[in-house]
Amino acid sequence: MSINAAADVQGDMTPERFSELALAIEKELGRVMVGQREVIRLVLMAMIAGGHVLLEGVPGLGKTVLVRSLGGVLHLEFARVQFTPDLMPADITGTHIVTEDERGRRRFEFQAGPLFTNLLLADEINRATPKTQSALLEAMQERQVTVGDRTRPLPDPFFVLATQNPIELEGTYPLPEAQLDRFFFKILVQFPNAADLAEIARRTTGTDEAELHPVASGAELAQMALLAREVPIAEHVLERGVATVLATHPDTPTAPVEVKRYVRWGSSPRGLQTLVLGARIRALLDGRFNVALEDLAAVAPAALRHRIFLNFEADAAGFTTDQVVAAVLQATG
Amino acid sequence: MTGVERFLKRARSRVVGDRALNWGARGLAAGALAAAAAELAFRRFPVDPAWPVLAGCVFAGLLFGLVGWLRAWPSLPEVARLADLNLGSRERLSTALEFATAKSYLPSRQRLDAEAWAERADPRQVVPEGWPLRTLAVFLAAALFALGLWMLPNPALAQLRQHREALAAQNQAADQVATIAAKESQARPGEDPAARQALVKDLKKAEQAVRSASDPQSAVAALSQAQQDIRNLQDPNLGAKQQGSSAAGQALAQNPNPGQKAGQSLASQNNSQAAGDLRNLASSLASMSQADQQSLSQSLSQAAQAAAAGGNPQLSQSLQKASDALKNGDTAAAQAALNQAAAQTDQLQNGEDFAGDAAQAANGLQQAKTPLEQQAQAGQGSQGQGQQGQGQQGQGQGQGQGQQGQGQGQQGQGQQGQGQGQGQGQGQGQGQGQGQGQNGQGQGGQGQGGGQNGGQTAGAKSTEKVYVPSQGDPTGQGQNQGNGQGTDANLVPYEQVYADYKAAALNQVDRADIPQSERDLVNQYFANLGQ
Repeated sequence: MSINAAADVQGDMTPERFSELALAIEKELGRVMVGQREVIRLVLMAMIAGGHVLLEGVPGLGKTVLVRSLGGVLHLEFARVQFTPDLMPADITGTHIVTEDERGRRRFEFQAGPLFTNLLLADEINRATPKTQSALLEAMQERQVTVGDRTRPLPDPFFVLATQNPIELEGTYPLPEAQLDRFFFKILVQFPNAADLAEIARRTTGTDEAELHPVASGAELAQMALLAREVPIAEHVLERGVATVLATHPDTPTAPVEVKRYVRWGSSPRGLQTLVLGARIRALLDGRFNVALEDLAAVAPAALRHRIFLNFEADAAGFTTDQVVAAVLQATG
Repeated sequence: MTGVERFLKRARSRVVGDRALNWGARGLAAGALAAAAAELAFRRFPVDPAWPVLAGCVFAGLLFGLVGWLRAWPSLPEVARLADLNLGSRERLSTALEFATAKSYLPSRQRLDAEAWAERADPRQVVPEGWPLRTLAVFLAAALFALGLWMLPNPALAQLRQHREALAAQNQAADQVATIAAKESQARPGEDPAARQALVKDLKKAEQAVRSASDPQSAVAALSQAQQDIRNLQDPNLGAKQQGSSAAGQALAQNPNPGQKAGQSLASQNNSQAAGDLRNLASSLASMSQADQQSLSQSLSQAAQAAAAGGNPQLSQSLQKASDALKNGDTAAAQAALNQAAAQTDQLQNGEDFAGDAAQAANGLQQAKTPLEQQAQAGQGSQGQGQQGQGQQGQGQGQGQGQQGQGQGQQGQGQQGQGQGQGQGQGQGQGQGQGQGQNGQGQGGQGQGGGQNGGQTAGAKSTEKVYVPSQGDPTGQGQNQGNGQGTDANLVPYEQVYADYKAAALNQVDRADIPQSERDLVNQYFANLGQ
C-alpha cells in the first residue's frame, strides 16, 4: 500500500493504538519465537516503514519461522522461495503458459509466480544467481513485475524478507550493492543464549504447538506507517542523522579514522531515509512523540551496515561494518 | 508563552550564570597566562615600568572573558538542547520549541508531552553545578608563575635601567659640556681668536661625542680625549715665560730707578699692571735725566738677563734692546723697545687668561666625567655579575684615576707591600687601567669579578689616562695575571704596557657581534692615543 493510499485509511490511528498494535504483534510473535526480541522489533519496524529486510544468521535460528509467523500474525498472504543456483527469474516472477479455453482455443496466459504475495520469504537469497537476484530488484523497489511487454503491480503491502547464511559461502553469489541498498534493514540474527535455548527445547519438543492469531491487518500496518511519518524530528536531530551518513564516506572531513582507512564507499541517501524513518517508528514504539538522538543511534547499525562497503584492508584486518557504524556514531555523537 | 518556554527561560538564567562563572575563570586564566608570558618575555626584552603591561594583560584577559561570555549568550533552542542533554528529556524540549506553531496532530501531542515533562523537571539541573576547577587551577598556576617571575631579580631589567641611567648621565654630561662651550665661546680682548675657536670646537666635538656615545665608557673616553686636546691648546712655555717675567720684575725692582714700579708689577705677576707701567716708563723716558736713564739702563739689562735665565727670551730681548738704546742715548729706540716689552707682557697675560679658561674647561669636563665614570663602573659590575655570576672578588683590588695637575691617584686600594708598579690584569667585564705615575709609591692592584682592573699609582703627577678593556674570562672565573699586584712588582715600561693593552683591546673588539662603529671608536681612540 502506498503512502498516498494509506492516507485515506489512516483513520483513527493514534500513538496509543500504534503501541498497542506493535506490542500485540510482538507478543504474538513471542509465542513462536523464543528470545530474539530485538530482531522481532527491527523486523516490525521495517514492516511498518514498508521496507524489506535482510536477515543474516546461521541456519536454525528461526529466521524462516519468524517470517512465516509474521504472515500469520499480520493476516498477510505468505510465500516462500528457496533460492538455489538453478532458480530462474521466471520461477519467482511467473511466466506465460499455453492454456486452452472452453472452445478449445489456445492462448498464452500469465501464471503469476511467488512474488505475487504480501510477504515473500526469499530464503538463502545469496544462493541464487545474480540474474535471479536481479529479478527481485524491480519488485522490491517499484513493487511491480514486468514480464514480457506487460507490467503487473504486486499486492499491497508487499514485503521481502530475505535470509542469508554468513557461513557456507561456497557456491553463493553475494548480493550486489544496488540490491543490498533496497533492503530497509539488515538484521543479524544472533545465536540464542542458554535460557532461550532451553525454552526452545521445551516448546518444540512437546506436544503443544502454538497457534498464531492475526492481531493486525495490512491496512492497519499502513496506518501505522502513516502515523510514524508524522512524528516530528528536531532540526539538530536531523542534522545528526545527516552527519552520521556523511561520516560513513571516507572522503568526508568529519569521517573517523576507521572510515578513512577501511571504507571503500559509504552509505547512500537511502541510508539517511532509513535512519530517520526507523528513528521515527522507534520513538513511537518507545511511547514518545518526537525523535531522539538515541533513536538514530539505535537504528543506525541495522540501517547502515549493509550500505557501507569495506575495502580489502578491512577484510584482511577482520574489520566489520558494525565496527564502522560504531566508530561513526562515536565520532558524530 | 508555553510551559516549555517558561521552563527554558528559567533554565537560561542558570546557564547564563554558569557561563559567567566559566568565562570569568577563563578570562582570569587568560590574563594570568598573558602576564606570565609577558614576564617571561621581559626576561629577554625588558620593559620598564612593567606594571602597565601586566595590568593590560589582566585587563585583556578579563575582556576576553567578558566578550566570550557575551558571545556565548544562550538562545532558547540552545538551552533546550542543553536541557535535553543534561536532563535526559530525549529531545522533547528542543522538538517542542521547534514545532511550537505546528498544528498537526502529533506535534500537538508532542508539545503536551514536553510540557508535562517540563512541569516535573528542575531547571537548575540544566547545567551541572560546580566550579570550573581546572580553569581556576590554570589561573592559579599561571598567576603564581607570573608573581614569582615578577619578584625574582630580572638581570635584563637591571641592565635596561643601567642603560637608561647611563644615557641620562651622558645627556647630563653633554649638557654640561655644552654649557662650558657656551661660556668659553666669549673671546677675551686681545687674545688669539684661533685658540679660542679651537677650544670651543673641541668642546662641541666632545659634546657630540658624549651624546652619540654607545656607552658611558665611550663617553668617558671622548671626554678624556677632549681634555687632552684642550690641554694641547695651551702654550707649553707659558710657565717659563711667566717665570722669566717674574724674575725680570724682581731684578728691575731691586734698585731704586724709574722702572722700579714696573718691576714690582712684573714680580707680582700682575701682567696687566706691568704692561701699563712699562708703557708709562716708555713715555717718561724723554723727560728723564741722563743719570736716571743710565740707572734704568743698568736695571733693564739686569732684568733682561734675569728674564733670559727664567725662560722668557722675548721679554729679555726687548728689555735688553731698551737698555742698549738708553745706554746709547737713543730714547726713541728705548721707548719702542719698552712698548714692545709691554705688548709681550699683555700677550703673556692673554696666554695666562686663556690657559685659565682652558683649565677651567678641562675641570668642567672632569666634573662632567665623574658621574659617567660611576655609571661605567656600575655597568661593568652588573654586567660582570649578571653574565658570569661566578666571578671571584678581586685580589688586590685597585681602582685609580690619575688626574693631571692634581698629582694624586684616587681611590687607591692595594694589598701587600708598596712599590712602584703598574697594574695589569685580566678579569671579567671591562677594566680600566689608569694612571702612570712618577715619583710615587705605587699600589698595584687588579680588579676582578666586578670586572675592573686597574693598575694605579698614587703618584705626584699623572700624565696619562688610558682606558683599556680587560680581557674577560669567558669561563667566568677571573684570574689575576700579570704584574703589579703590589708585591714588589718590577716596573714595566709604559710603551710595553700600552702596546699590550692596545693589542688586547683590538683583539677583543675584532668580533662580528660588536658593531663596526664601536670597533671604529676603539681604533680611533688608540690612533689618537698614539699621536
